[in-house]
Amino acid sequence: MLEQFCQWLYDSAIGIGIRESIWVFPIIETVHVLGITLLVGTVAILDLRLLGVVLKREPVARVAGSVLPLTWAGFGVMFVSGFLLFWSEAAQSYANPAFRIKLVLLLLAGLNPLIFHFTIYRTVGDWNHRIVTPLGARLAGLFSLTLWGGIICAGRAIAYFQK
Amino acid sequence: MGLLPLFEWLGQSPVGIFMRQSTYAFPVAEMIHLLSLAILGGVILLIDLRALGLGLAGQTPGGLAEQLRPLLVGSLVVSVVSGVLLLSDEAIKCYYNPAFRAKMLFLALAVVFYFAVQDRFFLVERGGGSVAAKCAGVVSLLLWLSVGLAGRAIGLI
Repeated sequence: MLEQFCQWLYDSAIGIGIRESIWVFPIIETVHVLGITLLVGTVAILDLRLLGVVLKREPVARVAGSVLPLTWAGFGVMFVSGFLLFWSEAAQSYANPAFRIKLVLLLLAGLNPLIFHFTIYRTVGDWNHRIVTPLGARLAGLFSLTLWGGIICAGRAIAYFQK
Repeated sequence: MGLLPLFEWLGQSPVGIFMRQSTYAFPVAEMIHLLSLAILGGVILLIDLRALGLGLAGQTPGGLAEQLRPLLVGSLVVSVVSGVLLLSDEAIKCYYNPAFRAKMLFLALAVVFYFAVQDRFFLVERGGGSVAAKCAGVVSLLLWLSVGLAGRAIGLI
């Protein structure tokens, strides 16, 4: 079912168009890498604040407030460009172990802030100014850094497993 | 004297030989390069946006730059070291690659501009709202973006 869908995407006019153009694929790929830089580079600052490594004098909520809009913008760019890349390679990506790992990591990286925001972040008022944040917040920062780092590595590995 | 002998030496060095013989060394170095670039890009973006009057409202541009300096320098060092490892794998090829040359030029300009101009003259301003400071922020962003684009092009040319 999922495999047929990937094959259908792969054989579609847009999939073929991206794949067979000399410039379109590398351009989308470049945009994808810039989007990831924006996403990971900015969320890492928040993660490192949660871990008490950078911006220690800055309240956590203020760091989150100014960093997360950029992170979301990066996410939008990454997601759209990533889907276009997938579209053109769907038939190979389906069976690609690095791609599968990347999707699982993406799912976990998405769940992490969801859990964070609905649990420990609710009480941010109590620990906003603390350098050492509660264990839950530090764990969320650590998971985020690890997962996004893993996503970059798995993403790079996709090309090595392709074909 | 040209730089070619330096590239030849790097390619023939034990590091270059190791990078070519190992199956995993190149991909691993590439991943480390990408990870450090993401951090470097994020830090530069936040500092330059602050110079433009955006982003972390509670921070002066200088204060933010000072607090993020260890992260900036750290990620820059990691990306340069991993970059030299990648370079040693195909040093001669890179030497003749116009995208590589452009990247090195932009990188030199970006680093010199950031540390010699941006950091010293424009980030120290308290409000950071002057037109000159904003222009410097834009120049810095464009230089670093050029480094990234030229870097991506190395593999395509």
